[in-house]
Amino acid sequence: MSEMVSFTFNGTDVKCEQGQSIAAAVINTGTLALRTTRFGEEPRSIFCGIGICFDCVVVIDGVANQRSCLIAAKPGMKVESSS
Amino acid sequence: MIIVIGAGPAGLAAAEAAARNGSDVALIDSASRLGGQYWRHRLTVSGFHSNRADELFAKVRSAQSITYISDASVWSIEREGQLIRVNYLQGGAESSLTAEKLILATGAYDRSLPFPGWDQPGSMTPGAAQALLKGHGVLAGQKVVVAGTGPFLLPVATGLAQAGANVVGLYEAHSPLRWLLSPKALLLNISKFGELIYYARLLRRYSLTPQFGRVVSRFDQGRVTISRVNSSFALKDMKSENVEADVVAVGWGFLPDLTLGGIAGCKQRVDSDGTAVFAVDANQLSSQPNIWIAGEATGIGGADLSLLEGEIAGLVASGQKVTSHLRRKRGAKQVFADALKRSYPIGDGWRSWSQKSTAICRCEEVTLGDIEESVVELGAEDSRTAKLFTRAGMGLCQGRVCSRNVAEIVAGLTKCSVTDEERIASSNRPIAAPIALGLLGDGKK
Amino acid sequence: MQNPDAIVIGAGIVGASSALSLTNAGLKVLVIDRGAVSSGTTGAGEGNILVSDKDPGPELTLALRSRDLWFEMQEDVGDSFELEAKGGVVVARLDDGPLMKLAAEQSEHGVTTEKLNQSSLHELEPFLHPEFHSGVFYPQDAQCQPMLAAAQVIRTVIARGGAFISQAKVTRIIVENSAVAGIETTQGIFKAPIIINATGTWAGELAQMAGSDLPIAPRKGFILVTEPTGKYVFHKVYDSDYVTNVASSDADLQTSTVVEGTRSGTILIGASRERIGFDGSMNYEILRRLAAQATSLFPILRDVQLLRAYRGFRPYAPDHLPVIGEDAKVRGLWHSAGHEGAGIGLAPGSAALITDAILGRQSFMDGSPFSPHRFAKVSV
Repeated sequence: MSEMVSFTFNGTDVKCEQGQSIAAAVINTGTLALRTTRFGEEPRSIFCGIGICFDCVVVIDGVANQRSCLIAAKPGMKVESSS
Repeated sequence: MIIVIGAGPAGLAAAEAAARNGSDVALIDSASRLGGQYWRHRLTVSGFHSNRADELFAKVRSAQSITYISDASVWSIEREGQLIRVNYLQGGAESSLTAEKLILATGAYDRSLPFPGWDQPGSMTPGAAQALLKGHGVLAGQKVVVAGTGPFLLPVATGLAQAGANVVGLYEAHSPLRWLLSPKALLLNISKFGELIYYARLLRRYSLTPQFGRVVSRFDQGRVTISRVNSSFALKDMKSENVEADVVAVGWGFLPDLTLGGIAGCKQRVDSDGTAVFAVDANQLSSQPNIWIAGEATGIGGADLSLLEGEIAGLVASGQKVTSHLRRKRGAKQVFADALKRSYPIGDGWRSWSQKSTAICRCEEVTLGDIEESVVELGAEDSRTAKLFTRAGMGLCQGRVCSRNVAEIVAGLTKCSVTDEERIASSNRPIAAPIALGLLGDGKK
Repeated sequence: MQNPDAIVIGAGIVGASSALSLTNAGLKVLVIDRGAVSSGTTGAGEGNILVSDKDPGPELTLALRSRDLWFEMQEDVGDSFELEAKGGVVVARLDDGPLMKLAAEQSEHGVTTEKLNQSSLHELEPFLHPEFHSGVFYPQDAQCQPMLAAAQVIRTVIARGGAFISQAKVTRIIVENSAVAGIETTQGIFKAPIIINATGTWAGELAQMAGSDLPIAPRKGFILVTEPTGKYVFHKVYDSDYVTNVASSDADLQTSTVVEGTRSGTILIGASRERIGFDGSMNYEILRRLAAQATSLFPILRDVQLLRAYRGFRPYAPDHLPVIGEDAKVRGLWHSAGHEGAGIGLAPGSAALITDAILGRQSFMDGSPFSPHRFAKVSV
């Protein structure tokens, strides 16, 4: 049984297994949309899943444009949708 | 020392082969685990012939002379005299490695084609559904449609079904009869029949019936429109059916990421399917001295071929002999790969699926209408100009997803063909992964 | 197009502006380019329209008029190329003496300048490093999207009776009795008594085809483009080293610091100058230097990621002035080239100068400092 990790996504608590990516963890809670686009404010979610498309980018602890499909969730991370 | 970039089948095979004779190898990869895309796993690799993967993982992990560097994004490659310097980002810091020799095995990613709603949450590549499931144990959605073209759809659909997803549809755009075009390929690769039977069994077990000659032509808030297409992928008639699904995983084969090889100055050519790839000789040697390239970057061919190319590159780079047996095996797989390309070509009828409001460049939200305007109103005659006018390809992914599609749309509008130069130039990116300006500047001499 | 009154070779911003100016003066103009619109240096710049970086002299006079003509051009062809009077902020790193001296001289010659102290500087640019205490604001500095501008201008030329042929490489310039008669290209032969050489960095090569010469050489520059990010930079911001670098003839690499935001949310960072011929290869050490300079101005940029970098070749003449005027040897061959890093800003002004000269009318300034005749020194 993997250790559990706790982080927040847009203020909401998310729990996931250690090693799971932020995107996987968020999607596992039933939320697909990870951010909205900067011009049309359209919701976007994971698309390529392997770090090529940058559609899954979120702000992690204040740093923008981080690919949530690649980055494993760490305890206490503050993750927010990019704008 | 030999640096191997990419720890998928090609990179693993290259590292293992080079280490066999005692060469020191640094195996560097952007993921947290070995296996690349083809061999995604959390705990164990599953699927056909997965024991091969486990074997290689074990060998690479135990080899004393292989240093495995994970979670590392290579952002540039430079020459320093006889040495090659690989600059990478890891854990929020920049590091670099130098060596006399480099093997590039950076693999491929799903090729995507635009359709109305392809940018909505729930629409993703089969690779993404696979990555979530195999890499993170997460089902992307409850009801899933798998569509597109090519044999990769099979392990994705069956894998999802095995994990408990309700795969409500499996749609292959081509006719199954296309394989009759390539009897030699099938005969040379008898093992492929075993693989087919393996997946056929799984399809039956989960009551998955593939439907042919069909594509997802629209996705809107959980409603998937399935339309029939002709062999060029143009919509055949107005008849369509609607299926409910929260996830639609659509894939159209693969594209290699040529960024790093391009930075290293390796010459490219255009493959028979219009894909820009690297030109290598019979020993996997690129146009650059001491740089070998193996796997999908030399031409999309699947895991089997990648393994063989990787092994050959690893042997040659470490000064070992390559047997003619190995070369023959690679040749057989090459025949199969060519047959794959012939059997699952991407028809240009896909251009008719999009509407003016459909985003073509997802990153910069550039629509088909914007691109049409750049050609008709602003006089763009080639894709480079259309991109400069519309910003298509200038966003975060730097054109990896949209570049080829934009070029083909512009070619369709101007009634020209996409030139080889255009195909090759599209992958010209001096920065392979984003790097913080602070890190970049701190590294100055 | 049969029998144009003039042929403009080069569909970058300088060629496009020249074509528009001539068209508006009543001429039938054919524009040709060996590639597409803006496939040369116009497609590799930032879209700078500056008066701030010029010493008093003919180039500044040209720049001032040209800047205003940009806004007239927008009125003429339509607001479609993101023209914006953004304003420039030049900051002095250590000693602000030279900058203030320059600003004082510039303001005597028509440039609007506003001295900035610690507080007014940081009001304009709140994210600028607190150690900067002095600067000058140039409200006349402007910005555009040059590729869109050139494209829109060419469309206007076509709409007004002109023509444009792309992918037409000039293979021969037809000269009869020391005067141009036309050109041979890969897309046909075109006759005209007036030919404008607006080929920028390749203007010297083209002049040679006519049996003349033009000492224009490439000066390589890189630009960094960041990911789309928050609004941290509100004007064009650069340190006063920019001025010294432009006028220098050093063969070695020179870098200065130029930072600005764009409409799409990215930040552009320059600037480097190298005399390295047409070697277009990437140089990561230069990128590092530019990044370090930018973050020393705006520490917040340390966490902003570089997404891409591109390079271009600025066309320059040995005295760093553009070349505008009739060729010294071949009549009817007119040059408008060698604008170095100021091609965008100086384009409509150069177009006005050359149109006036061709039509034999008085212009807004004496164009002789730009004349190609200045190179035709008699060698003994």
